[in-house]
Amino acid sequence: MSFLRARGLLKEYGAGPGRLRAVDRVDLDVGSGESVAVMGPSGCGKSTLLHLLGGLDRPTDGEIRLDGGRIDDLGEKALARLRRTRIGFVFQSFHLMEELTAAENVEFPALLAGAGTRAARRRALDLLDRVGLSERSRFLPSALSGGQRQRVAVARALVNEPAIVFADEPTGNLDSAATLDVLRLFEDLHDTGQTLIIVTHDARIAATADRLITMRDGAFTDETRLTGGTSSLGHLIGLGADAPTGLEAGPR
Amino acid sequence: MQQEVVLAMLAKEPSHGYELRARLREALGPLGDGMNAGHIYVTLARLEKAGLLAAERPTDGPDRNDRKVYALTPDGQQRVAEWIAEVSWPRPDLAEFHLKLVAAAAAGLADPLTVVDTQRRELLRRLRDAQRAAMDEAGRDPAAALLLEGVVLRLQADLRWLDACEQHWTRRRSRP
Amino acid sequence: MSRTLAIGRLAVRDLRRRPVEAALLLLALLAATTTLTLGLVLRDAAADPYRSTREATHGPDVVALAGAATLEALAAQPGVAAHSGPFPVAGGRLEAGGHTRDVQMIGRDTAATAVDQPEPVDGGWIRDGGVVLEAAFADALGVHTGDSVTVNGRSFRVAGTAVTAGAAPYPGATCLVTAGCMSGPAPAAGTRVPDGLLRDPGLIWLTRSDMREVTPDQPLSSYVVSLRLSDPGDLGTFIAANTAAAGDPASTDPVSPGASSAGSVPPGASSPGASSDDPSSSGPLFNGAVPGAAGGGPAAVRLIAWTEIRADATAVAADAQILLMIGAWLLGLLAIAGLAVLVGGRMADRTRRVGLIKAVGGTPAVVAAVLLTEHLLVALAAAAAGLLIGSLTAPLLTASSAGLVGSAGIPPMTGPTAATVTGVALAVAVLATAVPAVRAARTSTVRALADAARPPRRSGWLIAVSSRLPVPLLLSLRVAARRPRRTVLAAAGIAVTVSGLHVALILTGFLARPDAVGYSEPQAATLRRTILVWTVTLLILAAVNAVVIAWATVLDNRRTSALARSLGATPAQVSLALAAAQTLPALAGAVLGVYPGGPLLLTAINTATGGDSDRAISPGPWQLLTLILATAVAVAVLTAIPARLATRHPVTESLRAEPT
Repeated sequence: MSFLRARGLLKEYGAGPGRLRAVDRVDLDVGSGESVAVMGPSGCGKSTLLHLLGGLDRPTDGEIRLDGGRIDDLGEKALARLRRTRIGFVFQSFHLMEELTAAENVEFPALLAGAGTRAARRRALDLLDRVGLSERSRFLPSALSGGQRQRVAVARALVNEPAIVFADEPTGNLDSAATLDVLRLFEDLHDTGQTLIIVTHDARIAATADRLITMRDGAFTDETRLTGGTSSLGHLIGLGADAPTGLEAGPR
Repeated sequence: MQQEVVLAMLAKEPSHGYELRARLREALGPLGDGMNAGHIYVTLARLEKAGLLAAERPTDGPDRNDRKVYALTPDGQQRVAEWIAEVSWPRPDLAEFHLKLVAAAAAGLADPLTVVDTQRRELLRRLRDAQRAAMDEAGRDPAAALLLEGVVLRLQADLRWLDACEQHWTRRRSRP
Repeated sequence: MSRTLAIGRLAVRDLRRRPVEAALLLLALLAATTTLTLGLVLRDAAADPYRSTREATHGPDVVALAGAATLEALAAQPGVAAHSGPFPVAGGRLEAGGHTRDVQMIGRDTAATAVDQPEPVDGGWIRDGGVVLEAAFADALGVHTGDSVTVNGRSFRVAGTAVTAGAAPYPGATCLVTAGCMSGPAPAAGTRVPDGLLRDPGLIWLTRSDMREVTPDQPLSSYVVSLRLSDPGDLGTFIAANTAAAGDPASTDPVSPGASSAGSVPPGASSPGASSDDPSSSGPLFNGAVPGAAGGGPAAVRLIAWTEIRADATAVAADAQILLMIGAWLLGLLAIAGLAVLVGGRMADRTRRVGLIKAVGGTPAVVAAVLLTEHLLVALAAAAAGLLIGSLTAPLLTASSAGLVGSAGIPPMTGPTAATVTGVALAVAVLATAVPAVRAARTSTVRALADAARPPRRSGWLIAVSSRLPVPLLLSLRVAARRPRRTVLAAAGIAVTVSGLHVALILTGFLARPDAVGYSEPQAATLRRTILVWTVTLLILAAVNAVVIAWATVLDNRRTSALARSLGATPAQVSLALAAAQTLPALAGAVLGVYPGGPLLLTAINTATGGDSDRAISPGPWQLLTLILATAVAVAVLTAIPARLATRHPVTESLRAEPT
């Protein structure tokens, strides 16, 4: 029984010959605790797909079920409730509120969900600790680096203990070092059993997922399971049979 | 592995074969696991024959490779110095894969796109392994983590190139 | 040349990219220019209406009332340069369109006279069977040229309506009949009212033969003559000399302010209620011969100086002018508040866009030029439209002083007015450009691109407080706190409006019993209409401001609202928050406008005009409460619309909007 299930998902813009199909009849099943990465070149529709799955946009056709219940035909109010209780979103450009501190940013969705002031603050501080930013809980976003900001955004996405976390190009605006920080965070999340759907064109993030789906022109073209590692890492540096004057690789 | 590496590892002081092996493995971290012991001794022998190394037979016991103590000769030292100053850089061998695709398409051996996909999958697996290892090593052994990061970045670059290959071969297919 | 074109094109393109903001700027500037135009035109019209009438009609220096022979003798005096008349004058009753009014009738010749020839503003002069009504009187009755009227039972056609300087326009009245005139409410029962007393009479002219026809029973014994003195400065001496010579005690109207100091002119600006009023009397006003004096003998001459007529003529207009000035000031303040918000908000966007232009390769000079051009274009459009609208609506306000050539003679648009309005609009354009241009020239391009110009203010304690409130209030408090200056300006604007409304209520209550304050009912009606006109304008401008601020707030918070929605706020909560962010400060502003706003404004007015506020009646507490609540509801409705529309955008689109 899949946790998130999409059937025949279609998103079109415009009409007539100029019609653009951003998402072209996509089927998807994601199990609970699974981590799925969707890769593809720019404009392939992966961000649109994510917005549809996360309830930020409505599909032209098709259905989406979360834990059995349909979410594509919900009213605005029910969608809003969904967004604050069952779904967490991480955006490429962080989308933090510039005038709120890290802690205030993180606790915001909890306040929207009706949590008490103290409970919300406590949860926020716990999460900031989890992402390694507990000493910066009073900092404004302008005082944080890109990687730190994204980590605050991740903490914010987790504050209401969502069933699924969606991440849209989470490392798109980050440099290499910051990417590593966020990578680690996602690995962590995955290890704790969080269901994750990540859209990215960064192979490094994609490589952290259990399943990797390639998307092109609005449709899925390939799917891989990245389980099963190689027993020896030596071949990564050419300690293999094809090394010209190198050392032979050990028995595989 | 370059012969010069072995030479350089002996620059600090002469050492036994097995010490050398140990040092190499330590420097490579987890990546050194697949290293073949026998190959080191072969290399050492070659270098000795080339006059870049001098082997000191043990005064006692049998004449075995692993008991020899190797040291740099003056020629060897010069070679190491030259090597340090060199700027050659290992060339990525993309030509082979590129030709593989061309041949597959031309002779109808396989669909180039399938070949690309398969290769990509493999590279992604490697990337995942290297990344995991890098993260594990980050706290323990920063030098090994650094090496792993280099591996990761190269794999990333290769994967990007594979994306480009896929685009190219898709376009070629759609144009009869 | 091509450079100018390029800049012009850039400016136009930039304006087109953000049509809503350009429209808002235009609207706010337009309100200001319209207000300014109205103020200037009205100032011109109300300034000295009597003077232009006097010039056009060759107004007299002295109007004398007596028997025909006495007047002929008077006219033959050496000091008199020219005269017209004597003409018979009598009281009568006129019926038109179902209304019946007392009138003073003057029988004149069809030929024009050298002195005091009434100037038709509509139609022509008298003829047999055709009467001419005084213009303000005709306006008040709703009578036009060609209509049928009945005078003393006889039917006539209205040949035209005219203005004169020889008598004050309706509803003021220069009493010419010996029986006397009365203005104000009916006297208490039992008060002895002399026969033939006219109440709030209008003025009409007809031919001598028609006059005889309508007064078959009355002997025409009263006459009026209009005199031009050879030396206008001799006015006082002439009047004194001739009044004494007639052997009567000075019989000029004891209650007119002009009489006590012959030749000196009471200032035109008089406070409400002090114009033609003996402070000690509270009953109906008797203007003209003192009742009981049997009309005076044939030798009795009553002399009226033109200054006296002018005082009467301008009394109401002067008060109206004060009211208009109050209105104009309030409107001006409101326009500035609205503009400040808009220009301030737009400037925040400016610096970033300026950064973009710079990045594309423009120098600070180019950048400033483009900004300036944009603002100038909008300012010119606003000036033109404001002048047009102002000149079209000004007659509505000058109607209160119709009957003086003001509404027909003074062109609605004078060169200086147009120049002033355009100048002010352009000055605002330059000012609005100067600050961002200077700032742009000084910031490095990178900084300008990177930063959001004016990052939203952070108020730690407000954020902490808001987190304890229910979601819509939480959001609205934070929205308001992001731009504190705008919130304050919005509240200030509402406070100004409500103060104005409060004062309007006070003044209207004041005028509800005109007798108590010395106005006749028609005069009070005129003043009330003036108050109504600027109250309506004030309300319109306040509404425009509210909508402008609402839009600016919505645009500013587009990204934040989308973010809140993506994190789980419902659209209803977000619209409510956006509306509340403006309504709550408006409520505070309304309370301030009622107290201390209203009383402060009233005191300011009284200080400026020298009146006293003792007789001001404060509207009851329920009225004030209703005012406050109505204001809050109105603002809520006005802001709800843009707030609701804002939440219709899909979330993903708005998230991609530039952070502001």
